Amino acid sequence: MQTSNKVLPSQRVKASRGKIHIIKERCKQCNLCISFCPKQVLRRSDDINEKGYHIPEAIEEPEKDKICMACGFCEVVCPDFAIWIEERIDK
Amino acid sequence: MEPSLVSDKEKIGVFACHCGRNIAATIDTERVVEEVLKHPAVVHAEHYEYMCSDPGQELIETAIREKRLTGVIVAACSPSLHEVTFRETVKRADLNIYKCEIANIREQDSWVHENKEKATEKAVKLTKSAIEKIIRNEALSPIKVGLHKKALVIGGGVAGIRAALDIADAGFPVVLIEKTATVGGHMAQLAETFPTLDCASCILTPLMSAVAHHPNIELHTLSEIENVEGYVGNFHVRIKKHPRYVEPDKCNLCNECENVCPVAVPSEFDEGLSLRKAVFIPFPQAVPSSYLIDANACLGMSPLICGKCAEPEVCGPQAVNFDDQEKIIEDDFGAIVVATGYELYNPTNLGEYGADVYPDVITSLQFERLLSPSGPTGGIPRRPSDEKIPKRIAFIHCAGSRDERHQPYCSHICCTYSAKHALLFKELVPDAEIHSFYIDIRAVGKNYEDFIRRVQEETGIHYTRGKVSRIYEQDGKVKVLGVDTLLDERIELEVDMVVLALPMVPFQGVKDLAGKMRIQIDGNNFLQELHPKLHPVESATSGIFLAGAAQSPKDIQDTVSQAGACASKALGILTQEKISHIPTVANVDEENCSSCRFCISVCPYRAIKTIDDKAHVEEVLCEGCGICVSACPSGVIDLRNHTDKQVGFMIKALAGEI
Repeated sequence: MQTSNKVLPSQRVKASRGKIHIIKERCKQCNLCISFCPKQVLRRSDDINEKGYHIPEAIEEPEKDKICMACGFCEVVCPDFAIWIEERIDK
Repeated sequence: MEPSLVSDKEKIGVFACHCGRNIAATIDTERVVEEVLKHPAVVHAEHYEYMCSDPGQELIETAIREKRLTGVIVAACSPSLHEVTFRETVKRADLNIYKCEIANIREQDSWVHENKEKATEKAVKLTKSAIEKIIRNEALSPIKVGLHKKALVIGGGVAGIRAALDIADAGFPVVLIEKTATVGGHMAQLAETFPTLDCASCILTPLMSAVAHHPNIELHTLSEIENVEGYVGNFHVRIKKHPRYVEPDKCNLCNECENVCPVAVPSEFDEGLSLRKAVFIPFPQAVPSSYLIDANACLGMSPLICGKCAEPEVCGPQAVNFDDQEKIIEDDFGAIVVATGYELYNPTNLGEYGADVYPDVITSLQFERLLSPSGPTGGIPRRPSDEKIPKRIAFIHCAGSRDERHQPYCSHICCTYSAKHALLFKELVPDAEIHSFYIDIRAVGKNYEDFIRRVQEETGIHYTRGKVSRIYEQDGKVKVLGVDTLLDERIELEVDMVVLALPMVPFQGVKDLAGKMRIQIDGNNFLQELHPKLHPVESATSGIFLAGAAQSPKDIQDTVSQAGACASKALGILTQEKISHIPTVANVDEENCSSCRFCISVCPYRAIKTIDDKAHVEEVLCEGCGICVSACPSGVIDLRNHTDKQVGFMIKALAGEI
């Protein structure tokens, strides 16, 4: 029953948001980051790196609530240190 | 005298009651007396104006002693009314209480017939039928069993808190379980309470604290009933306790975890007017006083994904525990109080009022949060869309109540709380213009009428009798369309904010809980009491009592009174050394049982099991309903003092064959 349309403007808290950076050449398309992202903000892109792997990309127009919250789990699971998150505070 | 049908040892007395004119106007009780005296077993018969009165009962006692009666028939009202009364009477004269039967000649005869001749004839037959039963009745004594002197209270709102404290204060251990993370219930969300305008927190939080510290109360939050077995005095209950993920003993409420948590979701306590984090405390005065993690909102625990709150530099005391597990608690109780409370009817069902679309159409509980000093606006009523202080406001009574399309019943408190809202709002916004749309003003309760009048005088509230047909927002204003049924005029009103008085409905999952506990629910899904007047807090299952808004919509006053009544009823059980149970239970001729198990499937009390492949009745569970008797294909189950043989003779008597 709780909907977000009644949240008072002053009560909208500052939450951390992340900008996703991918080091293209390191990716080997293991898909771990895509599978484990709790907010499902990543998907396989059509873009390929020089080894021929499809690298992940952030979904540009995410569905409601599917936004990167800078949890950093993709950084942890990436076996090749190919993804990292820049944290910023958003309204 | 004719030879007796059964044995000459039976000496039956018949006592016909006039019940003032209730019976005597339609039935010639003197003729009933004459007719039944012809029965060979009847040695005494008389009639009297009010048999249930003291002189009436005296007549029965004297006759038993003087004529050495072996059985008593009282031809009077329904046994559900006075069977107990007359059984006590015969007990005083040293007669077994199961040698007293009632012939119901009021509800089943005088009240439903007009022809005196035929009604009298029927009364004679009904009485004779009872005679045929009683001469075959066994003298029985109640079954006695031990009990667990501990109570379970389900629901930690004000009803559950009051019941738990009352039982615990009397010296008995109580387990209080609550579904959410804190006790307090809806009352904790309220600003001030009508009609005296006590601040809800000031009167509730001390009780919450008392619950937390009472040596006789064991509190389990985030807990639900998994299973209930057994019977009065001996309920065996499985409680499922969900993980909290924060250890309450370690948590020092520093709120560092909340600051780093990346997830924000609408706050349940503020009714969605503010946000809370996935690691949160419902409100600062919550009991137990500790943070917890909402597993559904948290980014993930298995595998642990975010874990920022658990970092040593964030949670100093290391209270966050992602390995916390669900627990099952098993315990035995003598009595149970069910106080599971209410929730508001979902406003999205009222599409025409647009509460799900327009931010400034809010529910009464949301308005309570806006008025509350601990609320998201610090007690200054601001509207959700732009946080401006509204000047013109409309209250819609019966927004779904007394409405066949939604909830047909009256929610009982909305008229008075809407008036309270108007008063509090006017105090905060002195130049406010307040409109209220009602069907009828139902302010039933001590001093409520005076309160409504006070509100009318002090606020200049415009009461409009009529129904609102549509609400929508346009250019930052809320438009209310409706009809004034007193002036018979269409109404179009422009206001800044609308408050809907939604129906109180039983909490979600009430059906499931009622099924587990064998409690009946009524047509509107509220828990059903045993009798609306004589047993208002008892459920149909002995030993389970009902308090608060789970039973019907009610205000805090009635809820607390009912909780006290439940505590007193529970203590009536816990203070006994043995529990008595009716001996008129089903009895299986085990030798001839065919082991078909049909009786097990029909028993509503789960009282039958198989022992060595034969049906066996757990006597303390059996309520003597007789369903198994009629279901048994082999006819080997009988109900004590209601055997097939007895029923056969009773039918013959009714048919005039005896």
